[in-house]
Amino acid sequence: MSFINDARKMLRENIREYGMFIALFIIMAVFAITTDGLFISSRNLVNLVNQTGYIAVLAVGMTLVIVIRHIDLSVGFLAGFLGAVAAIAMVSWHLPVWVVIPMTLVFGILGGLISSFLVAQLGIPAFVATLAGWLGYRGGLQLVTISTGTIVIPDEAFNAIGNAFIPDIPDIGILSGIHKVTLFLGLLAIISFTSGEIISRRKMQKNHFEVLSTGMFTLKLVFVSVLIGGIAWILAGYQGLSWTAVVVLIVVIVYDFITTKTVLGRHIYAVGGNPEAAELSGISVKKITHVVFGSMGMLSALSGILYAARLRSATTVAGTLFELDAIAAAFVGGVSAAGGVGKVMGSLIGALVMTSLTSGMNLMGIDISYQYIVRATVLATAVIFDVTTRKTGK
Amino acid sequence: MKQAAENTPVVEMRNIKKSFGAVQALCGVDLVLHHNEVLGLVGDNAAGKSTLMKVLSGAYIPDGGDIFIEGEKAHLSNPLDARRLGIEMVYQDYALANNLDVAANVFMGREVVRIKLGPIGVMDYRHMEQETQSLLSRLKIDIPSVRQKVERLSGGQRQAVAIARATAFDAKVIIMDEPTAALSVSAIDKVLELVRELKAQGSSIIVISHRLEDIYQVSDRMIVLRQGRKVSDTSVEGDIHEFRERVVAYMIGARDDFTEKTVA
Ligand SMILES: Nc1ncnc2c1ncn2[C@@H]1O[C@H](COP(=O)(O)OP(=O)(O)OP(=O)(O)O)[C@@H](O)[C@H]1O
Ligand SMILES: [Mg+2]
Repeated sequence: MSFINDARKMLRENIREYGMFIALFIIMAVFAITTDGLFISSRNLVNLVNQTGYIAVLAVGMTLVIVIRHIDLSVGFLAGFLGAVAAIAMVSWHLPVWVVIPMTLVFGILGGLISSFLVAQLGIPAFVATLAGWLGYRGGLQLVTISTGTIVIPDEAFNAIGNAFIPDIPDIGILSGIHKVTLFLGLLAIISFTSGEIISRRKMQKNHFEVLSTGMFTLKLVFVSVLIGGIAWILAGYQGLSWTAVVVLIVVIVYDFITTKTVLGRHIYAVGGNPEAAELSGISVKKITHVVFGSMGMLSALSGILYAARLRSATTVAGTLFELDAIAAAFVGGVSAAGGVGKVMGSLIGALVMTSLTSGMNLMGIDISYQYIVRATVLATAVIFDVTTRKTGK
Repeated sequence: MKQAAENTPVVEMRNIKKSFGAVQALCGVDLVLHHNEVLGLVGDNAAGKSTLMKVLSGAYIPDGGDIFIEGEKAHLSNPLDARRLGIEMVYQDYALANNLDVAANVFMGREVVRIKLGPIGVMDYRHMEQETQSLLSRLKIDIPSVRQKVERLSGGQRQAVAIARATAFDAKVIIMDEPTAALSVSAIDKVLELVRELKAQGSSIIVISHRLEDIYQVSDRMIVLRQGRKVSDTSVEGDIHEFRERVVAYMIGARDDFTEKTVA
């Protein structure tokens, strides 16, 4: 009985965090049924992950932008523009891929700093400043692709980022047809998650902080382990982990670490919660704004690279509406429009929700106009959920 | 806390001037705060109380005048400078980040770092939480957990957190801007108790309040500001009714100790 009470209490207190996991689970279950299992086939899920990639990295950056009470509308066309720049750098300037990628990322940071200069230094509302960026980068994209149209990227190493999978060890007789490295990485993830959780729980108990009851704690560990294991198993059944997934995982892990464990992360949330208080405590709001927009620019460049690599080319319309998908993903993932609240991991889930909707409805052959309406409903529901759970002062 | 020469004031502000555009908020104010003294600062709305204290806490840079901390001339160009000299301020609107927990607010801008990886410092959560816990118990502040988000605290608890934050780093001088505004009677008593506790632990304190009975209860001395000027600087004594009448007379301009042409 106390177990059920614990479960209830935990669900109630963390409803905002678990809400989107539940939403993702429901969406996946519905599509699994309506498409006769096609949706959760290995092949489709691998595809889904790769489609999510270029939105997910934008959503991660956007999370921090919204946390500090701003918005960045320029990210879509910045991604498209920089994807084209990367293509030109390889095709026309004949630069090697290991130069092109860092160079593009640096361009992205510069793009982000232009926005933050307008916002932090000149005090222009982010909405307006980045709308100018939206127009400017769109023009830039058309300008650099005007003579050539779509630029085909011949570099296989570059294209691998959007299409290829991590290598596997040679067949060893057991588990043939299954991607063993992927399974192994999944196992590694489960072990490190479980041991990390157990160690931190011990530490907290030692310091007399309140912890989850043993039952709930075990349940949580089992749930997450099964989830990671299941995903690894499904991916391993096709071609394993894609390079896109690796890139996204690295971005999410690094950003999660920075936002939850470091002083920089704490300052970002402090600025989001109360900019005046942060400033009075000696935190430079301007510096944080530059850092957050700079990181957003870098992730836009990364998104552009992922997208161009996936299409093996830079197109004249690359990046169209990415910014809205990223913003929607962040809100669905629990970011609050009021600022100060939102987690990187949540936005990843939010991005998965949004791409799952598209992918599932495509499989079902639903007309695009209805797709937009469904996605609008999901976004509105997420925000209403945010506002109401906040008001009841959970 | 080093107790320098007993009779050098902890804070001495001389002829402080500050204007915002056409508004002259402070027209040459002097203020002295002695060791282990509680100084009340009163005055009508817009008299310049908050402005004067924000000058002392480094939030505003004055147009003119000098500040001496324990006899040494101080240059305060931002709140960090003032904090380094041991001056802490509890702002009128608490200045807390509601989205963060109690410990995070207490250590805001002064996070304890465990490992430094280039520009990235990894925080020492445990240390900050334990320090906060012991700080709260030392000040006898009743908050269930240092991990509680500030948005879930009551007004009185928030004020207590804001005050705790100001005292967390061995402050010499603690400034409280209307610490009892918007609080219930019992919460007000708690805050006044906290002021006495801090004084007992050796701090020097400046309290701004519109509630004259609060000033009367905790202060040793009192300064009245009126339209950016100091009009009274006396010790708090006598009975409360007489005290109140005297203060009100200064506040409305019926009395003035610092101008030659005394108003009738
Ligand atoms: N940042 C600012 N910009 C412009 N004017 C200001 C600013 N801060 C204060 N003032 C002006 O300076 C004058 C003194 O304000 P201050 O806040 O110091 O008054 P106060 O004595 O604290 O009043 P209250 O009791 O209402 O808090 C007012 O006329 C106010 O409008
Ligand atoms: Mg004031």
